[in-house]
Amino acid sequence: MSVSSQTARRALKRPKGLLLPLALLVVAILAAFVLLPGLIAPHDPIALAMADRLKPPSLTHIFGTDEGGRDVFSRIVYGTRYSLGVAIVIVFASALFGVVYGAVSGMASRGIDNLMMRIVDLFFGFPALVLALAVAASIGRGLDSVALSLAIIWWPGYARLVRGEVLRLRERPHVEAARALGVSEITILRRHIISFVIQEVNVRVTTDIGYALVAVTALSFLGLGANSPTPEWGLLIRDSRSYFGSAWWYLVFPGTMIMLTATAFSLIGDALAARRAA
Amino acid sequence: MILSVRDFSIGFQREGESLVAVDGVSFDVEEGETFVIIGESGSGKSLTGMSVAGLQPPTAFVSGSIRFKDREMLRRPDAELRKMRGPEIGLIYQDPLSSLNPVWPVGDQIAETLTAHGLADRAEARKRAIEMLERVRIPDPHRVAAAYPHEISGGMRQRAMIAMALAAGPSLLIADEPTTALDVTIKAQMLELLAELKREMALTIVLITHDMGVVAEVADRILVLYAGRIAEIGPADAIMLQPSHPYTAALMTSAMISQTPAKQDLNAIVGGAPGLGSFPAGCRFHPRCPRAQHDCLSVEPPRRKFGTVELACHYPIEAAMPLEIARG
Amino acid sequence: MALLELDAVSKTFSQRRSGRAVQAVAGVSLTVGKGETLGLVGESGCGKSTLARLALKLVDVTGGRIRFDGTDVTDYGSRRMLPIRRRLQAVFQDPLASLNARMTIAEIMREPFDTHGVRLDSGLEARIRELLSFVGLENIDIQKLPGQFSGGQLQRVAIARALALEPEIIVADEPTSALDPSIQAQIVNLMLQIQRKRGISYLIISHDLDVIGHVADRIAVMYLGTIIEQGAAAEIMERPLHPYTQALLSAAPTLAARRQIGWKRIMLTGDPPNPANVPSGCRFHPRCHLARDICRTDVPPLRAMPDSSRMVACHLAPDVTGQAGADVGRARRGLAPAN
Repeated sequence: MSVSSQTARRALKRPKGLLLPLALLVVAILAAFVLLPGLIAPHDPIALAMADRLKPPSLTHIFGTDEGGRDVFSRIVYGTRYSLGVAIVIVFASALFGVVYGAVSGMASRGIDNLMMRIVDLFFGFPALVLALAVAASIGRGLDSVALSLAIIWWPGYARLVRGEVLRLRERPHVEAARALGVSEITILRRHIISFVIQEVNVRVTTDIGYALVAVTALSFLGLGANSPTPEWGLLIRDSRSYFGSAWWYLVFPGTMIMLTATAFSLIGDALAARRAA
Repeated sequence: MILSVRDFSIGFQREGESLVAVDGVSFDVEEGETFVIIGESGSGKSLTGMSVAGLQPPTAFVSGSIRFKDREMLRRPDAELRKMRGPEIGLIYQDPLSSLNPVWPVGDQIAETLTAHGLADRAEARKRAIEMLERVRIPDPHRVAAAYPHEISGGMRQRAMIAMALAAGPSLLIADEPTTALDVTIKAQMLELLAELKREMALTIVLITHDMGVVAEVADRILVLYAGRIAEIGPADAIMLQPSHPYTAALMTSAMISQTPAKQDLNAIVGGAPGLGSFPAGCRFHPRCPRAQHDCLSVEPPRRKFGTVELACHYPIEAAMPLEIARG
Repeated sequence: MALLELDAVSKTFSQRRSGRAVQAVAGVSLTVGKGETLGLVGESGCGKSTLARLALKLVDVTGGRIRFDGTDVTDYGSRRMLPIRRRLQAVFQDPLASLNARMTIAEIMREPFDTHGVRLDSGLEARIRELLSFVGLENIDIQKLPGQFSGGQLQRVAIARALALEPEIIVADEPTSALDPSIQAQIVNLMLQIQRKRGISYLIISHDLDVIGHVADRIAVMYLGTIIEQGAAAEIMERPLHPYTQALLSAAPTLAARRQIGWKRIMLTGDPPNPANVPSGCRFHPRCHLARDICRTDVPPLRAMPDSSRMVACHLAPDVTGQAGADVGRARRGLAPAN
């Protein structure tokens, strides 16, 4: 669940062969799940059908059914909104706040910059699980508390990234040239710095959506996130634990979806990074 | 003859197209001479020079032949080429940091070039590393040997790189723009050092540069490349002081600012050198050439003998013509 | 009255890590007159680029005053500087890096007009076209990005942009150094033509004495943050009097002189100087072949030479250094040393 170690990992390798098209296909399918779940899911994700409890995959239930007789595929389709939706909200909110914070810090005088970065360090070192427990305790368990606690630990990554980029870009000749021309600091930030920073942020956002999804499902799995009968993916896995010996599909399909989603976003992030470097 | 290059070409595949960067270049390098390859960016001078050491970009395709001491260097397995780099061919670059490892003391890196080729055991290699640092006129070799590359000055790093290139006793030294990033006073020191080392160690030097001042000082013979082809090749005196090819003449005038009266326009040639994939038909220099005639646009000039040099030009500058007129 | 005047300016940077103070510029006084070209020469680390930034008010001085057309602008903030910047423009070394890679040529050329709120009756596009053709770029596609042009073309764009507001002076920091030799001559010619047509002043900063000697009316030579020689260009090129200027000049004689057997350059020993570690006395003494006791202890003042406009900071000039200087000048013109 660490947010910090991902930049180091980022080797500039363009995904080879069919990997990138496959990753884009996965994301397209996920988008369809989010936008049109009613058209795609063959069954109701919530209504119980006790007669069909824990049925293995078949033509009617391609991913099998759960302990309530609900279609696992349909639950996954509807659950995309929750798992991926919350992940996207977390990353976008963190990125938005982090970009503004980082840009201000990077342009500010050394004293203010130092102070702002000490605050970032404070948030950075905070253990996610402890924070999630604390937030859950104060505003109650649920996806909103998961989103809040993850956003709190996520934004400092963006603040640091953006501040570093701003500091680097501030020294670039084209910024100096703009300053010599008389361009105001605010326009320099907007026109000559942020437009470059955004590229970096785009890469990070794309990759982070996958990581945030893993984090959201992990917290749900630990019982801190979504409540039944929400078909959130982490919750599906949590509920499936008791039946693993008899109903493997109940665990395997949601698990595979999490893995595929995280991998797909990571690959697209790599492709963006490689294209930016080229 | 230590090096013989015949009909050498190198190119790249880009978007399904074959782009030839160096096109059918042939030349010989005699033992003990300083052979200089000059040209501007995109001329193919570095590709040519580095190919002599078997260092082509991995994506390049090559044809022709490069024979070093009668051994073919093109299409030779990497492992064998590596064995030759150090004991037989030394390399120095513009940026010493590109050949020095930042996390390793300088002395150990020089010693490594000896132990890696089995030329000395560790203790002996250390001793020879110190000697090598002395040899490149580093005043306190023991301190520098123990230092990391970032702990010594730029000039010292340049010397350490030369020490490393020459430690295993190569007979051929390839220097790719070794003085381009240096200040004039440091550049002067480096040229002096190279000249002395060349004498002491009986080196043959292939120097790649666009700095005419450096060329004037060290060159025995010169190869002028333009857009991947040979423009002119011959003895340094003839090429520097009485260039026959209009492009060479233009390069020399740009290096002779001091002979133009102050504040007067220089004899600049128009335009810029063409990039890979946009080489003009006929003579590749014709769009910028003040002497171009109709046939230069379509007929590629063959390489031919002209006085003491060989050149590829339909309308070369006559040797008797003073430079002022020749500049057009 | 001088257009741009630096009066005993200095700049001290405090190093972030060690907290040590490094004086990059140590009390430099220079003037650039109307229509005049001042060439500032020095090697890396001598503080010449910092001086350019001080003159452009991109960094603040730690001491001294900067005056523009008689007005003291030392303490001007960015708002009060704005009308001055219209008259004082800049060109930098690496044209690709000094233009925003994500803006089209058209956007780059608009920026000075937008910044200074200049409206044109004839239309902006027409004015941009006119400026570009003035610098020799008649038919380029201005909707393209800088990455699609060559270094020489981009330096012309940078010059066209600097000319957009019709400044009175351009500060050019190494304007030809990043370019191929045949392109360097084109840019030198362009800058000379601009001056002939518009009477503009230049402060040109370079490590290349050949270029400076050709374009400048007056030359100032900088070493370790101070000016060590200053005077009319022709005089300095013909007979440099400071041993450092002599070494710089003798490093680049004519091609003929270099091929000539027997020609000997003045060789400096030692490394380039480090501003974090300034020698006592004359800052140049550790590398000077003429150095004596007085050079190690006493700082030589920049003093006027008899019967010329020249200023030299050397205890031994012109009596001890004069002959060597004349020989260096001769070698540059392809002549053998006298007697």
